[in-house]
Parts: sequence; structure tokens; C-alpha cells
Amino acid sequence: MIEVAGLEKTYGDFSAVVDSTFTVEEGEVFGIVGPNGAGKTTTLKILAGLIEPTAGEARVAGYDTTEPAMRHHLGFLPEESPLYEEMTAISYLRFFADLYEVPRSVADERIERALDRLDLDHRDRRLGDVSKGMKRKVAIARSLVNDPDVLVYDEPASGLDPVTTNSVLEFTRELRAAGKTVVFSAHNLYHVESVCDRVVIMNEGRIVARGTVDEIRERHGETTYHVYTDVEPEAGANEAETDVGDAEAADIGTAEEVGDRYRTVVPSMDAVDRVRTAASDADGTVVDIRTREPSLEDVFLDLVGRPMPGRRRGGGSDADEDGDTPEGRVRDGDRRERAETSTSGGAE
Amino acid sequence: MGAATGAVGLDVDRDVYRVGVDPGSPYADAVEAKPALTAVPAEEATLGSTADLLVREVRTDGGDEPVGVIVRTVDTPKGEAAAASFEEAVEAHNERLMAAEPNGTTAFPVTVTLRYASRGSTFEDGQTLGEISGTDDGSGDGETDDTGSDGGGADGGSSETGTVDGSVSGDGGSGGAGDGGDGDVVSDDGSAGTGGDGGDSDGGGDSDAGGSGDGVDGGNADSDGNDGWWPFGTDDGPGGLAVPSIGGGAFGADLTGSPGSITPPFPFASLVLAFAFLVPMNFLTQAYGSSVLDERTNRRGEPLLVTPLSPTEIVAGKTLPYVAVAVAVTSLIALVVGGGAISVLAVLPIAATFLGATFVGAVFARSFKELTFVTVAVSVLLTSYAFVPAIFTNVTPVALISPLTLVVFDLQNESVSVGEFLFATGPTAATAALCFGLGLGVYREEDLFTQKPVTRKFLDALAVRLSAVGEGVRESTPTGIAARLPGRVRGLVAVAFLTACTIPFVFVAELLAVAVLFALPVTVSIPVLLVVIAFVEEVAKSVHLYAGFERGVFARTDRVALAVGSASGLGFFLAEKATAVVQAVGLTELYVGRAAFGSVAGLTGLPPLVLAGLFLAPLALHGVTASLSAVGARRNRTFYVLALAAATLLHAAYNFGVVSVHG
Repeated sequence: MIEVAGLEKTYGDFSAVVDSTFTVEEGEVFGIVGPNGAGKTTTLKILAGLIEPTAGEARVAGYDTTEPAMRHHLGFLPEESPLYEEMTAISYLRFFADLYEVPRSVADERIERALDRLDLDHRDRRLGDVSKGMKRKVAIARSLVNDPDVLVYDEPASGLDPVTTNSVLEFTRELRAAGKTVVFSAHNLYHVESVCDRVVIMNEGRIVARGTVDEIRERHGETTYHVYTDVEPEAGANEAETDVGDAEAADIGTAEEVGDRYRTVVPSMDAVDRVRTAASDADGTVVDIRTREPSLEDVFLDLVGRPMPGRRRGGGSDADEDGDTPEGRVRDGDRRERAETSTSGGAE
Repeated sequence: MGAATGAVGLDVDRDVYRVGVDPGSPYADAVEAKPALTAVPAEEATLGSTADLLVREVRTDGGDEPVGVIVRTVDTPKGEAAAASFEEAVEAHNERLMAAEPNGTTAFPVTVTLRYASRGSTFEDGQTLGEISGTDDGSGDGETDDTGSDGGGADGGSSETGTVDGSVSGDGGSGGAGDGGDGDVVSDDGSAGTGGDGGDSDGGGDSDAGGSGDGVDGGNADSDGNDGWWPFGTDDGPGGLAVPSIGGGAFGADLTGSPGSITPPFPFASLVLAFAFLVPMNFLTQAYGSSVLDERTNRRGEPLLVTPLSPTEIVAGKTLPYVAVAVAVTSLIALVVGGGAISVLAVLPIAATFLGATFVGAVFARSFKELTFVTVAVSVLLTSYAFVPAIFTNVTPVALISPLTLVVFDLQNESVSVGEFLFATGPTAATAALCFGLGLGVYREEDLFTQKPVTRKFLDALAVRLSAVGEGVRESTPTGIAARLPGRVRGLVAVAFLTACTIPFVFVAELLAVAVLFALPVTVSIPVLLVVIAFVEEVAKSVHLYAGFERGVFARTDRVALAVGSASGLGFFLAEKATAVVQAVGLTELYVGRAAFGSVAGLTGLPPLVLAGLFLAPLALHGVTASLSAVGARRNRTFYVLALAAATLLHAAYNFGVVSVHG
């Protein structure tokens, strides 16, 4: 449904999008994530025909995005949704339906259906007098008045309260179920993970990862093991035995006291064994081992190289036992830690 | 201050000078009628203390009737001013007495009736651009058989000179050929006039220093050496600066009266009414500009760009309501003030230009602050362009550069030819179209919703209309006619076409320059005008080339610079020649039409090769100067400015040469 090949967009000396290539299948929700300035919005605007690419090609529903005919098959939701505030929701949506030359009876039916599904109240109130969430819903309804095959949504849940956000995300899933193709960008990676079938991660104009969320996590993420011991493992305990020196010893890392236990985060099962040995040398034992799979955010941060403020990875010293940062920056959905192995006094 | 003084009943001009005069003297009446003067009984008056001026009638011994009058003043500036004021008072008193005389023939033995007509086309030393010889000299078709060379044109006498009584017709003029009017004489005694008799210089205008034979030409016919009704630039003698006079008295344009009372025509009433058409435009531009900018700053217009509508359709949809308002308001005003369809049709291009210029400003502006500057500038400039020339509607054809002049004509119930209508409205309408075209060039997401400086957007708006020229530059997807042209040709054709599109701007700018400069003496205005015209044309030919290089549409090589420069010169040359089509509608019958579009008069009889050379010389000029500017533009802005200055000087030198050769 969407084919992008060698897409580039430059502004003078600045490259907003560099050699971007991807395809989106019919009925798929496709996510584009990346930090600010990564080229997400530029890519979406090229797909919407708002911006002409400097090089490469983008085709939507079989049309080049520079062709006006393409727009009949496209619904676009920009990051912001300022509306004509003197109009009511109904008159505003009818106005856009007229621009798409949708017959009035058909338009009214579509508008009614969309507004019903989006739980939009106050349809006859001036848009200047309704809440931001309502305006966003009207903007979403606007993207549907021409019954497009492809929907391009830029940050659809931006600035909305959780209830409205969930409503929008659920509506996106319904669009997929209805056979629509949705290209979706978001800063909130949980939204992307929860809605998108496939994702590309962009950084500095380039696509740095692509695939399903699981594929990306598998390909680019790093599983870590949280080894809980009842004593602090002796970091140099294995040195003579393994004869691997400081490097491997460092693999064990520094144990962190968590309650009455010590947690050591290591990247491999070999390292888990070394922690186990070190604990044993200290007359202790491993009481619990948990594997932690990377979230999309972890992968994202690894790829774009921009750790979030106040968050360190690996040692997790800012995190409590459940992995939450003191500021609570990591959401529930970001945690994929599970007790793969739980050994109570499982020392060999 | 004026309101304040009026409120308390002050009049600073009252009772300035004390005049000692016998209450029984007829001079006392004159003094009483002059507010600046206050009468003091002559017996009580002492010069220098209680009076500034003394009037004593001289009587013969025992006689009651005065035989003369002695006027004495103190030898101070105030005394001189008092004397001058007293003289004015006496003259005005006499005029009133004569006007009250039941026997008009006795009071005014000479009556002049004016009839205004078109005038000739050539200049004379000391004249202004608006002043044309051979028209107000009264020469031409007078019935007298003058053979002297008065320098008058053959048809001048029948122009504005109108009717004069034979007894006062014409003045000598240097060649003694000042002849009278055209015999269309109405004398108060009812007898037909006999036309002028050259050399007789009584009454009306007399010989002036310029030497052209002045007839009593119906205009001022004054006695101070000024000639004709044309009021410009003669008071200070040839070559002096002069503010155009628009008539005396209460803006009167008396068509009949004594020579001294006749004033040049000033269509005060019509002009005020015509101005009413402009007032709503200023409000319209405010609303329109705010609407366009509001969609940009709030990004409300972004969803529109995703619809199947083209930018042209979006802008049309946005603008048409304002055009409809303009039409409705203009029609309403026309209905109220008595205008007709001509008024409405003439105002529409003005409204379109207001909207077009505002649209460009609103698309370029980054904030409402900048938009305010734009709308104020648009209002002032366009109001000036429309209104100022219209002031001279009955005075000079230069007024026809403004469509508002047509409104004044309409309100005066004067007919307007098709040629005049097209001449007055064509450039304005074309300018409006180009303003919209310029704005539409950047009516796209990347420019509408970004905070680029105005200059960058201007260059973007130009560059978007160009196609790639040279190796290694990006070729955007061609559309329309350009898509059918081969790649190499496409870029050069786009350059030539864009240059040609600037012709209306050039034309309007040059007409504006003419309007601004025409009050100056020819010795000053012509050189300045030639340089200004050269600059305007060089900018028009090169600014988009600079945009092309800056935006990477053209490869930065001298070869490409020469190619695009030549293409630009060719485009300008062809567009300039295309304006010759105006001759088909008779625009060159107008003086300004000839001034603007040139004339081939005087070229007949030349060998074909010479004619071809003369025809192609402008092409060579435009090609060379545009290439010069392009070579500078391909380097950087500083080089472009320097090259543009050099091209302007070269062009101006060419203009001087042409003017010198053609005289």
C-alpha cells in the first residue's frame, strides 16, 4: 500500500531524511519512532504529499505522493490539530467532506459514525469552546471523511489525557481491523509497541532499525540477568580460577544492595555462573535469578545513543527492585522483566 | 490647535494691520472687507504708532471728488506687508464691485470660455514631464496668417486653448507667430471671434522667456509671463522647481469668466467621491491579511493542503469572498456617489492589487507585527499610486496610470475609451495577478508554516518557478508546459518566462517613477528617470537569477550564468516588444502611452539593416546586462549587488545615448 524507496529530503545543507526505504502492507499499522529531529514528521509529510522529496520516491495507494489524485486515498492527522474555531464539529467535517466532493448524505453518515465511535459530544458547539481532546477527535474524524485507504497519523495521542489516549489507540486498532493502512508516529514508545505491527526507528534522518517490535528487540536489544544473592559476591574471587583477569571479573559488575539481598546485573549465563561462584566464595548463595528483556525504549536508547535524563542502564542503580526509577519514568509497559529462574537456595 | 482656536473664537489673521483711512472714503470699504486690516480714522492715525499704513485721498481745491490717493507706510517689513495686504484688499474690492455690475460687458470686456482637449507630445527646455509644447502656446490653427516660427505644433492651437476674443488673442512669442485660438470665439457682444492676431499681446498671456508663442490659451492667461493653463513649473522660470498647482480659489475650474478669474481645473468633488472607493480597501486588506496569516501561524491551513485542492484553488476560495465584498462595496459606493459600471470595473483591479499585495505580504510575513508593516505599506503605496495621479485627471494624461482616474472621469460623466481603460487598468490587474502568482509559489507546507525571513521566502517564491540549469543540480518534477520541453531548454525557457512575467511590475514601477518625477524640470527628471528605469529593469531581469543560484537550481558556473543571463535578456526583450500590442488598442495615442511603450516615429526611411540594428540593439543590451548581473549572482550576494550596479550604469548609459540620438 505504501512504498518508499531511497527517500531523501534536504533543506540547504541539512538532511532531514536520508535514503529511507520501507514498505507498508495493506491493513497494517506501521510505526515510525525516533527522537526529535529524526525525520519522522518529514517522512509522514512526504507521504501525505505536503512536502516534495529531494530524491527518491514515495508511493501511496499506487500513486506518487506528488500526484493530487493520491490525496483522495489519504487521511492525514498532523501533530497539531487547530481547527476553524467558529465552526461546529458537524459543519467543520461537512466542509472537508465537500472539499473531497463526498456527497452530503454519504458524508453525514460517515461523520455520524466517526463521531459516535469517538464518543464526541457537543457536536453543535463552537470548536473554539471544546476541549483539546475533543478537538483531536474532530481532527481524527476529519481524516476519515473521505474514507481513505491510508491514514497517516502524526502523534495522534499527543497531549491527551490517558482516557482519551486509550480511546484513540483503540480506535487505531479498529481502523486496522477495518482494513485501513495506518502509518503512525509517536514519542510515547508504549503507544507504538501496543498498536503497531511493524516499526522503523529513525535517527538523524536515517532508519536505524526495522521490523516487528519483537524482531527489533531481539535483533538490537540485550537481555540482562538480574542475579540476587544473600551476600555480596567477591568481584575478584574468580580471577585465579578462570584466569581471565579484570575484564571478565568486571563482567560480574558491582552488586547493589536491595533490601536484605544483593543484585548483580550481568549480560550472559556465563556471567551468572561467575556470580554464583563469587557468592559461593563469599559463603553465600544465589537466591533468585531474573531475566530482563529489553523494551523498545531500551533498544531505542541504545540505537539513538541518547539516554534519558536520570536513567542509567546496566547497573540500574536508580531503579528499585521492580525496575522503576525513583522518578517513575519507566512505565509498566516498559518492564518485561520476568522470573525466568527462581532458585531458592539453589546453590550447587 | 486649530480646533482650540476655533472653539474660543480666535482668529490669528484678524486685525493684523491698522490702516488709517477716512471713513467716508471708498477705500474704507475695501479695508473693512479684509479681515487682516482694521480701519482707524485717518484724523486720529499716526503712522508708526497708531497706524501701519495711511491712506489719504488727494482732492483738488474745493473739489469733492478725489483725483488721486497717497498711501504711506512705515519703512519696516510690517509696513510692506500692510501695503501688500491693502493692495489685495483694493483689488478684491474692485472685483466685487465689477461682479455686482449689472452690465457685465462693461465690467468684463473680455470673456474667455475654456474647452479642454488632448495635447501634443514633445518636450521643450524648461518644461516638465507633464508639460507638452505645441499645445499651450496657442499656435496652430488660428485664423491669422502668421508665418513666423513660433515653434508651435500644428495642432496645438486647437487643444486647450479654446475660445478667445480676437482682440486679445495670442501674444507675440519669439517668432511673432503667436496666434490665436482656433476661432472658436465667444465674445460678450455675441460676435464671432476672428481668431488671433499674432503679435498682439494685450490682455492675455504675453510673451514668455521660453520664446514659444503663447496664445491666449484659455488657461491662466495671466499677466505674469506664465503661459497657458498648464500650471506647472513656470513661475520660477525655465528649469526651476515647481509644485504642481491644482487650481486656485475654492478648487474652482471656471470655464467661463474674465481671464484673471479662470483657474485650472481640479475635480475636487469627483476626486473626493473617488477616494471613497479606496477607503474600504484598507479595511479589506486588514481582514484578508489577518485571515491568511492566521491560517499560517495556527496551522489551520495545513489540512487544506492535504485535500485534493491545488494551492491555487485554496487561495481562490479564500480570496473570492473578499473580492465579492469588494465588488459589493464598490457597487454600493458607485450607486451612492453616482458612478457607473466604469467606476466599478476600474476599482476592481485596484481591489485585486490590494488583495494580491496583501496576500504576498501575509504569506511572507512571520508574525502579525510584520503583517501590520506589510498592510500599512500596501495601503499607503497603493492609495498613493491610485489617488495622486487622479488629482491631475483634468490636467495631464499621466493621470491615466491610475484606474481611479477612470472613476473621476466617470463621475464627471466623461467618456472613457477602450484604450484608456486598458491602459489604466491593465498594469494594475497584471500586477495583482503576479502578486498572487508570487505568493502561490510559496503556498506550500515548507514555506507557509516555517519562520523563514521574508527575503528567503521571496527567493524561494522565485526559485520555485525555475527549472534546473547546469550539471549537478537537482531537477524538480516539471509540470505543465515545462514538462513537455527537453531538460536543457526547460531551464532557460523558465528563466525567460519568469523575466517576462516581471514586465507588469516594471511597467507600474516606471509609471510610478514618471508620476513622481514629472513635476521636476526635464533637465533633472530625465536623467534621474533614465537611471531609475535602468535599475528597475536590471533588477527585474536578475533577481530571480540570484534566487536560482542561491537555491541551487542553477549550477554555479560562469557558463550557466551567461546562459541564464542571456535567456533572461531575451525574455525581457520579447515581453517588452509584446507590449507593442497596446498600439493595436490605440494606447500610443496617449502621451504616457508613447512614453511608456516607445514610438517608432522618426525611423521611417532608414535602411533595413539600420532598422534591424535598432530593433535588436535592446536585445543585445538586455542580454549583456542580465548576463553581467548573473555572473555576479552566481558568486554571492556582494558580487551580485556590484554587478547589478554595473549593469544599471551600463543600461543607463545606453538610455542616455538613445535619448540623445532621438532628441
